[in-house]
Amino acid sequence: MKPFQRFGFGSSFYGGRWVRFAVCLGLAWAVVEAARQFGAEVRPGGAADPQVGRSFRIPYRLTETNHFLVRVRINGKGPFNFLVDSGAPALYIATATAAQVGLKTPEGEFWTPVDRLDLEGGARLLGVKAKVEDPFQLVGMNALGLPGASIDGILGFTILARFRLEIDPTRDRMIWTRLNNDPPDPPVPPKADRGGPPLELQAMNALGPIAKGLALLMGRQPEERREPRGFLGVEWSESESQGSHELPGSAAPPRAVRIDRVLEGSPAAQAGLRPGDRLIQIRGQTVGGLASARSLWAETRVGDPLELVIEREEPGQEPRRLTLSIIAGEGL
Amino acid sequence: MRPSRHRPRLAHGFLGVLLSFLAIAAALNSPPLPLAAQEPGENAEPPSRQGTVPFSMLPSNHMLVRAMINGKGPYRLIFDLGAPVTLLSNRAAETSGVVQANAPRSFLFSMRGEAEVSRLQVGDLTAEKLPVIVFDHPALSALGDLFGRPIDGIIGFTFFARYKTTIDYQAGNMTFQPVDFQIRDLLKELPDRLTGPKTARRRVLAPAGLWGLRLNQAPAGVDTMGVPVAEVFAGSPAARAGIRPGDLITTLDDRWTVSLADVYAAASDAPPGREISITILREGCELTLTVCPSEGI
Repeated sequence: MKPFQRFGFGSSFYGGRWVRFAVCLGLAWAVVEAARQFGAEVRPGGAADPQVGRSFRIPYRLTETNHFLVRVRINGKGPFNFLVDSGAPALYIATATAAQVGLKTPEGEFWTPVDRLDLEGGARLLGVKAKVEDPFQLVGMNALGLPGASIDGILGFTILARFRLEIDPTRDRMIWTRLNNDPPDPPVPPKADRGGPPLELQAMNALGPIAKGLALLMGRQPEERREPRGFLGVEWSESESQGSHELPGSAAPPRAVRIDRVLEGSPAAQAGLRPGDRLIQIRGQTVGGLASARSLWAETRVGDPLELVIEREEPGQEPRRLTLSIIAGEGL
Repeated sequence: MRPSRHRPRLAHGFLGVLLSFLAIAAALNSPPLPLAAQEPGENAEPPSRQGTVPFSMLPSNHMLVRAMINGKGPYRLIFDLGAPVTLLSNRAAETSGVVQANAPRSFLFSMRGEAEVSRLQVGDLTAEKLPVIVFDHPALSALGDLFGRPIDGIIGFTFFARYKTTIDYQAGNMTFQPVDFQIRDLLKELPDRLTGPKTARRRVLAPAGLWGLRLNQAPAGVDTMGVPVAEVFAGSPAARAGIRPGDLITTLDDRWTVSLADVYAAASDAPPGREISITILREGCELTLTVCPSEGI
């Protein structure tokens, strides 16, 4: 009804035909909107989820063990790494994670209500049920540190089935499109059974501790350390080489990298780099274009000292070469 | 197949992740089995055409597909995104000729080790030279007993990573479009990984373009929403977009940014010259800004 109200409000400011036109427009909009709302399947206790039909680009990480991890927030807290696992029947949250978030399982209940589950990439589910427990796989995998990241839970069928999933291992994101599909909860074991898992599972559970034992023998695999690249603070572009650094005998002239802008206060500015300078060498290696300049700089970390050789041309002077000492800074 | 009489227990749920451990156990416990000498994976050719595969749901919420293996079958296989490998039971592997009936078994789960399926047909899709491991997965046996019909195996990563996989739970089908992806051989790499050096590998995250931002560390913890901006360089893309010191960057190109590493990782996928949407928190208000990173470092 919002559009109608908006146009109605407008009528106190404007008069005549335009108001009638606007009101009609607003009415039409409201009617269409209402029809759409009624047309959609109404969920118990509310209208259809506004995310139905929307597609989300979900970033994921493929672990060393060929598992897909995505990040979630539980009731606004996180992020946590969850396994995408169509072989799991429901949503599982590790006990430590549930404690961190402050999730409470109602007395005597099998499921723990989660008000809000956000997925990195923008998808969001409201009012879902989770099983809070430590599936043995997670215990074991985390003990070994195999996947290169800790795993805090599992997105199983009851979550995945609310989406149409597109998974392309050659792309860095999955595409999840929200369906108007609320899958049933998996059957809950009878109350008497809730004390302990069935025998088969107890046998399988033994593998968790085995993996833990292996971890003791072999040591936990450390997580990968991710570090920011060092900052220079220049805009640059590629141009046909015309400088004196052209290699004798080379067929095509090497492409030069020209500094277009030096950010004020940046490491580049402090080292005396100026717009118009041409980059000849980074770390003693000859620059042969933008791609080569980028890759020569790629492994630079914050605080690394390094030398740049540049060529500078000033009015009325011969181009000259300078060596500048730079300390890579923080920033991007 | 109504779930009314035999209600499967939730506990039977996880199939694939268990495979990781069996794979470890196999790699550590058994010498290479005769079949492992085939070097599966290396001569596997990428499949060539798209296919649609219908699936049904078991009462335990597992996805079941029917597959012809080397022209025999159909076999009932569970499709599992959480399974790093593709697995066949001894029965299925023997009757389809994937392994010889008299091939040796290991003491653990009657493990036969690695083998290769020449042709796996699911729906109108055929995968060739698919590496599988052969053993009797206890959870599969339990599921089979529960539903009164055997489950013959699990289709996992080594199959679906050959494709762009689309799963539509509502429509009850999957589509597979071939992609060129180098599938990591888990079984081969695991022992090296486990016994290899214990030093953390280091990766430098290189932003693809110049933003003109300096950031502060974000506090660790589950309540952290973003990374604070320490400095915005004058005349930079960040300055042009209206980012200010003190802003909290919460997403960059729809990726969450709760650590410096997150920001750099997201920026490494944001090419210069493209409009990138970022979300910031400023004095309690959420704003979405558009930054066009420039070519630079």
